[in-house]
Amino acid sequence: MADKLLVRAYNVEVGDCFYCRIPKAKKVGPHLEDFHMLVDCGSLAAGTHLKAAVENVETLLPAAAGGKRHLDLLVVTHEHKDHIAGFDAQAFQNITIDRIWMNTAMDPAHPQAGRTLELRRLATIAMRNLAALNLELSPELESLVALYGVANDEAMDALRNTLPTASGITPTYVHAGMTPAQLDVPLQGASISVIGPEHDIDRFYLGADPDGTLFGLAATGAAFSTRPPAPPPVLSNISRLDFQRLQSRMMSSALAFADLSGKVTNNTSIVLLIEWKGKRLLFVGDAEWDTKFKEGKANGAWNVMWHERKNRLNAPLDFLKIGHHGSENATPWNDQEDGQVTEPSTILDAILPRPAGGATAKAKAVVSTKRKNYDTIPRSALLAEIGTRISNVRNYKTALGAEASHLPKFTEFEKPWIGSNQPLRTDCELVLTGVPFVDVEVEA
Amino acid sequence: MATLTFTAAERRAAYAARRFLGSTLEEKLKLRIPFDVYFQDPPTTPEEAAQAFDTDCLVPWEPGLGDGPTSARFAVVDYDGHTEKMEAPARWDDATDSFVGPDGKRLDRHNTNNPQFRQVNVWAIVQRALEFFETGFALGRRVPWAFEGNRLIVVPQAGPAENAYYDRQSKSLQFYYLGLDDKRFYTSTSTDIVNHEFGHAVLDGIQPYFMESVVPQTAAFHEFMGDLTAILIALRNTDFRQRLLVETRGALRGDTTLSKIAERFGEEVEGKPYLRSAVNKMTMKDVVHDQRPHFMSQVLTGAMFDIIIRLSEYYVKKRGRSAAESFWNTIQRMQGIAIQPLDFLAPIDVTFRDYALAVLRSDEIASPTDPDGYRGMMLDVFIKRGILQDTDRQAFLEPHHVFERLPLDVFHDVSSIASSRADAYRFLDDNRRNLLIPRNADIVVSDLCTAHKLTRQARRLPRQVIVRYLWREDVVLDDVRFGQFAGQLTSMLCGGTLALDENGEVLASTRKPGSEPVGEGEAAVDEQQRGVQRRTAFLDDLARRISAGRIAPPIGSAKGLLAKTLAPLTSRVVDGAIRFELAPHFGIHDDKDEELGGRSWQISS
Repeated sequence: MADKLLVRAYNVEVGDCFYCRIPKAKKVGPHLEDFHMLVDCGSLAAGTHLKAAVENVETLLPAAAGGKRHLDLLVVTHEHKDHIAGFDAQAFQNITIDRIWMNTAMDPAHPQAGRTLELRRLATIAMRNLAALNLELSPELESLVALYGVANDEAMDALRNTLPTASGITPTYVHAGMTPAQLDVPLQGASISVIGPEHDIDRFYLGADPDGTLFGLAATGAAFSTRPPAPPPVLSNISRLDFQRLQSRMMSSALAFADLSGKVTNNTSIVLLIEWKGKRLLFVGDAEWDTKFKEGKANGAWNVMWHERKNRLNAPLDFLKIGHHGSENATPWNDQEDGQVTEPSTILDAILPRPAGGATAKAKAVVSTKRKNYDTIPRSALLAEIGTRISNVRNYKTALGAEASHLPKFTEFEKPWIGSNQPLRTDCELVLTGVPFVDVEVEA
Repeated sequence: MATLTFTAAERRAAYAARRFLGSTLEEKLKLRIPFDVYFQDPPTTPEEAAQAFDTDCLVPWEPGLGDGPTSARFAVVDYDGHTEKMEAPARWDDATDSFVGPDGKRLDRHNTNNPQFRQVNVWAIVQRALEFFETGFALGRRVPWAFEGNRLIVVPQAGPAENAYYDRQSKSLQFYYLGLDDKRFYTSTSTDIVNHEFGHAVLDGIQPYFMESVVPQTAAFHEFMGDLTAILIALRNTDFRQRLLVETRGALRGDTTLSKIAERFGEEVEGKPYLRSAVNKMTMKDVVHDQRPHFMSQVLTGAMFDIIIRLSEYYVKKRGRSAAESFWNTIQRMQGIAIQPLDFLAPIDVTFRDYALAVLRSDEIASPTDPDGYRGMMLDVFIKRGILQDTDRQAFLEPHHVFERLPLDVFHDVSSIASSRADAYRFLDDNRRNLLIPRNADIVVSDLCTAHKLTRQARRLPRQVIVRYLWREDVVLDDVRFGQFAGQLTSMLCGGTLALDENGEVLASTRKPGSEPVGEGEAAVDEQQRGVQRRTAFLDDLARRISAGRIAPPIGSAKGLLAKTLAPLTSRVVDGAIRFELAPHFGIHDDKDEELGGRSWQISS
């Protein structure tokens, strides 16, 4: 209880909001006190869950001056709605924050993120133009467009200005390779390291663009223009119906930009490695994986870490915050499930090794998720795979019984795996317990 | 020699009679007109410019040619989805029998640096390629498109991407471009790329149910068709053939002459994936359980290229022709050898073996006694590649009647069968027992046509009446291995193709059986057993596709698709049951994205 490390995963539907308490890790005068941190506060859904989460976090925090509560560290892994939507002055008005960390790609002045930032700027224009057309969009596209919504600007403004000012601090943009002195989180018997993203954002996560085509094309793209749209073209040899259908089946460079920018943003998530009394905990944001690291290409964060920070990553974990709400591209694994050894499967075996013989696993994991706009988020096959490598599992078929069939898109995307052990899921635990968070404790 | 001049009415009359004229006379009568078309790709240096144009490019003229270009079967729509701009169309100028740009200048090799030239270039390529298929030396009939309507939309500069694809849904061939302004490479100016994508469109038109297949070999067959189209049309170019034979200029015979062709070909097409696929030694063993269509297709493309080489060698050795003449005769002959069998394929789930058997059968019809032993040679090639087995050789070489009458319960005259689908249906229905069609299947006549094919020497083959029919067998996917589709209803397509000559002799009868009983007697029991095996294989193939993450709906809006999200197969619900269909393949290189499985279709958000 007092000596256990606590991770509390709030149910914010498709989003992340994680509280973590490292017990007796902070020296205050002669005493050792708990270290309190919050990793992300966002959701694709409306804000009620987030408000409730922040209110609950307050109850866990120690008192501070002026009747407020005290938070040691706020980590914002990356700039997506499902990780930042909850940051506003009002929700946090009762909390004094000592440090705000954002990833170095969120620093508008970072010279090695110039192209990444430009890419996001263009994607934002394109997606806002698309939103303004009020077209019928599929749920996945709605989410993609929502990533670039105006509300994000407000959240980022709160994170860069309002909240730091209210606490009398300035935010820190962090990256892998920063020394403990630079990170300035003096802990006893514990350490917090950043093992992703690398400082050179453009190089690792966007890759080279030798012809300069990426931005050259943006200059000519109608979707990236801030001018009002041109009238539709005059058609001479096909009908309007045929033309509209043709348009809908052509490749959209706007969507391609937005998708690339989204991928880069995910891959620049802060990856935190918390070490406490010999235990290793990894919070990965939405870091993605690819087949392997390729110099000059837009790489997945896991492959970059495996290439650049292998010595920090290549050892079993005691806790994993499952990435990107259980999506198949955020936890490295062999998704072909064909027994082949690949770089991603190697990484998984390194961080969450399958217990040998009849031994029980030691590691724990949790996923904050809900099946909504994306059919395969979470990817149940992946959760079942993880379930064979951790101890805090639940068999939701047994636990939920008939209720299980009410899970969204149950037949297509849950049923085949519902009888397998899965890591604790915020969506299922809510149905099971009615409690809007999932606690995971790690013992020394 | 005096130049012939005609009135418009005279030209139209000649056009009406062109089937009987022959290509030399057609050219004289201006029913085929020359166009300056890039032979392979636009030149990158002034030196290349001299040889860049295909000097053999004659394109069929039509009375109704219009701006666009627009012709009977094609409409060029020069819309760029990225800039959202439509370029002015090339204008047809009757007086000069050519297309001109907005400034009135003729669009030819002296006037290429503008979008209108590219419109004409791509139109001429596909106009010629369509004829390559419709001519009597190939299918000998008009071929339909797979979509509703008769004009294929061709988009020569659709936007910035390393892509080109045929899309049935939008009735289009879309060609994208790479790079910026001066250094831009338009895929529509690469003849191989255009011919490859066009090959997909034609195959889809004559065999539309191939797209509704989960069998990896069928997707691979589509790729094979694209490559074969590009290769055969490229080899029709005299300069290209001469370059392949260049070492041997002056030599009259010799094995070395032609054995080097493959090597030279490989060198010439380095960096051109749609042609390079011809040069390989792959066999079926190398592609067992593979799912990469272009990779797998190489086995069949390689086999057909082997046949080209061996046939050429034969002409040199046994007929004493020069290497150049032999090679050309072979390319002419290959048009029939490779394309005519397409009509004999069952309408569903084509495999390489199906095609090889159809190639042999088609050759048997054109040349029943096979005095030169071509079929033995082709069997050799197919067996070496693992496409056919030794047992197939025995079956083919055993003495048998080339033409057999179909035993029928109810006689139907061939001309009434050929007259309409409804008539063809009654013929099939009256003879379900003989044709091994289950009593309770509601069959669809998916195609009915008559072909007038020719041999290489323009000898008329007997008229062919081709009937394709199919039915759907219910399949419930009641197993966890079907992932998100578990518990749902889909169908396995079953059916066949029957090709008859005007006397009712069977030219070809190929079937894809279902698992339901089709009668008593050995043949019926056999057929049902094959059907059961087919159903098992279908379920296995589908499960493999699902577990490899190869099925996903595309993500897009009225303003276009997110290309990355298009998986090799899509699924959609039609009348409460799922249909799995091949999606347009994105990317003009090999299937490297296939390695990523389902993740490559995921959006990052």
